[in-house]
Amino acid sequence: MKKEILTSSRTGDSCIHVKHSSGLDIYICEMNGFSSIEALIGTKYGSVNNIFKNAADSDYTTVPEGIAHFLEHKLFENEDCGVFELYAKTGASCNAFTSFDKTCYLFSCSKNYEENLKILLEFVQKPYFTKENVDKEMGIIGQEIKMTNDNPEWRVFFNMLRGMYHAHPIKIDIAGTVESIAQIDADLLYKCYDSFYNLNNMVLSIAGNISADKVLEICDKYLKPSADKGLETVFPEEPAGIVTSEVAEKLPVGSSIFHFGYKCTPSEGAQRLKDVAAASTAAALLTDPALPMCERLLKEETINSTFDGEVFYGSDYFTVFFAGESDRPHEVKKALIAEIDRLITEGIREKDFQRIKKTAYGVMIRGLNNVEAVANLMLSAHMDGTGPYDAIEVLSDLTCADVIDYMRRELRPDRSVLSVIEKEA
Amino acid sequence: MIYKRSELGDNIGFTTIIDEKFKTCSLAVFFLTELSDDTAAVNTLATSILSTSSSRYRSYAALTEKLSELYGAGLGSAARKKGNAQILSLKASWLDSRYAIDGEDIGGEMRELFKDCLFSPNAENGAFDEDSFAIAKKDLLDRIDSELNQKRGYALSQAAKIAYRGEPAECTGYGSKEAALSATPEDAFRAYCELMKTAQIEIYYVTPREDDSFAEMFRSSFGSTERCPKAVKVRDHSPLKPEVETFSEEFDVSQCKAVMAFKTDSDDIYALKMLSLIYGELPFSKLFLNVREKMSLCYYCTSHSVSAKGSFFVDCGVERSNIEKAKAEIMAQLEEIKQGNITDMEMEGSLMALDNAVLQVGDTPSSYIGWYFDCFCDGETITPEEHFRRFTEVTRERIVEAAKSLKPDSIYLMLNKEVKG
Repeated sequence: MKKEILTSSRTGDSCIHVKHSSGLDIYICEMNGFSSIEALIGTKYGSVNNIFKNAADSDYTTVPEGIAHFLEHKLFENEDCGVFELYAKTGASCNAFTSFDKTCYLFSCSKNYEENLKILLEFVQKPYFTKENVDKEMGIIGQEIKMTNDNPEWRVFFNMLRGMYHAHPIKIDIAGTVESIAQIDADLLYKCYDSFYNLNNMVLSIAGNISADKVLEICDKYLKPSADKGLETVFPEEPAGIVTSEVAEKLPVGSSIFHFGYKCTPSEGAQRLKDVAAASTAAALLTDPALPMCERLLKEETINSTFDGEVFYGSDYFTVFFAGESDRPHEVKKALIAEIDRLITEGIREKDFQRIKKTAYGVMIRGLNNVEAVANLMLSAHMDGTGPYDAIEVLSDLTCADVIDYMRRELRPDRSVLSVIEKEA
Repeated sequence: MIYKRSELGDNIGFTTIIDEKFKTCSLAVFFLTELSDDTAAVNTLATSILSTSSSRYRSYAALTEKLSELYGAGLGSAARKKGNAQILSLKASWLDSRYAIDGEDIGGEMRELFKDCLFSPNAENGAFDEDSFAIAKKDLLDRIDSELNQKRGYALSQAAKIAYRGEPAECTGYGSKEAALSATPEDAFRAYCELMKTAQIEIYYVTPREDDSFAEMFRSSFGSTERCPKAVKVRDHSPLKPEVETFSEEFDVSQCKAVMAFKTDSDDIYALKMLSLIYGELPFSKLFLNVREKMSLCYYCTSHSVSAKGSFFVDCGVERSNIEKAKAEIMAQLEEIKQGNITDMEMEGSLMALDNAVLQVGDTPSSYIGWYFDCFCDGETITPEEHFRRFTEVTRERIVEAAKSLKPDSIYLMLNKEVKG
């Protein structure tokens, strides 16, 4: 077992990272004065990981869309009882989520964390899939899919991704479709579980009112050593260009919404951290109500205060997008393209750049003020191949030139997609 | 943690919570006033403008620029309802000055900025600045229009409108589209003056260290404000309809929504909350285990008690063809509780969940503010521990009585369009 203390030189915050002998990476942050405890165990397995092989496999396995999410639902049942029943006895609030590139199981509590951690470690290592319990889940997940289908924010986002990506599975809904999940059976779930729920592919993150020694003692007792199976995931080859520059759909909504995004070059690890810092700063500048473009659009009532920018990235995908409510989304697109062009040509005022950096710094410090946010930060950073405090360091080194360079390279009009959800007549 | 509350003036409470673990400071000013369709929208506009400009920072751009210089300090407003009251708030949060890289006095600057926003708004000749008003008005109108974008929230909002028809609570917490459309900068400024004069005002300041400067600023500023506060009755039981009313709307949606509203004459708020936990709030509640897990009818089927209105709601997303089946099972599970079929696990698990939840009060500045303001609205300030102790005294018999007190009142259905052959 290898143990190291990670410290932020800027804030003084620290946490412990352990490479456990079972293969699991463990992050622990003792937070004095807080009552609650937040723990997540996550696997690098999300909706995009549909083609994979282990070192011993002769060929790649392709599985139906939505299976990672389906597996997440089913892991909550073990042979004797449901996991919720176990947590009912401790009072913890437990949950799980599947994203594009990870699946996480979590609990939040203020008492009995030792017992809650034991339950968490045990159930994620003990799958129980049968034809009956798989069939039963079809109706429930079918309703979840229909619920998200009715969510216009979800639709406008996926329509944008479908406009950007030709082949990458990022464009596919996390839960799959009613048709795709109908192909899932217990054997396929075991195949995915055995490949992705290997402790070498997973991370435990726990923060709050805890003792690191106690956490490690529980891990020693309940983690079953895993041999690294040499898991390999692949993605279809994705061209740099987009599929289409505009996607529009009519839905029963009260106000029209849009996403305008740029397909950017994906990156990994430390380079991705730099790209995220530059892209986030660009997005913040372009949505800053203190700057003339945004001020003008607000005054003309082209946008309202929901207008915002976001950076969205993961395995082999990276986008910067702008979202909001507007009856004139084409004007927003035109304004953004012109403003990016102006900033590249004229540069960014140092004063504005420093303000945006200060804001980003403030957001990061605030995150360290919150047990749930700290647990999520440690897990996400590990999955991104970085340390929990690296982003603060990268931000402090970021220059105006980095941001302009990023905009010039990546925010290209020919790689932009406008997705609009319009009101039905 | 140190908790201190003092009266700064007529119905103006100031609470300081000192907790050294925080890296941030938070400030919230709440205005409690009667909920009415005539005033809800202009009140919302008035508080919204206070968070977008001031006499010193005369535009949203100027104010945003200043806030970002202060490490992205937050300033915002909100409007909601509780029972028959409208609750408007102006809130701010900022990094504690010890994290300022350039040694700025962030707290001191925020105190002056907040003071300016609240006491010296961007107004002249009895009207708010037109540009600031226009931004706030568009935001409010868009918010009202976008209710339908979130189908579950829209269904619950419609169900409340039907259940509370003819009562103040029929109105949303931020007002109607018609009232927002007709509002002027003069109307909004009059609403601001009226709130400062007549609303019950509660202020909360969460800080990592002793700091009286905010209390002094409010005491001094309110000292020159004319006050004539009006009492607000938050709790008011909603009358049961003579016959169960069903209201349905059709949309082009994939999933239908059903919201069942019940009314109760019970004032046993602790038993009603325990009932809701056992019935439908937790992943081992009866609705989850039966409507979702056993019958696979829904992804969500939950309940919640609205004690201020003596009402209780169950909502779910379901196939059109399964609505009646879901409704029947929802009623059957309520009947189970009425018959006293409550297991030890359901009782103990619900209490454990409450215990864990109340102990987490104080882990974020907003949880402190939320806790003590809810206590204020309920007319009794108690600790989270005392709150939990009262739940431990709830017996099965009290839960059964609470279940028996629920009477069906109305049903809201969001239906998908049927394909006609």
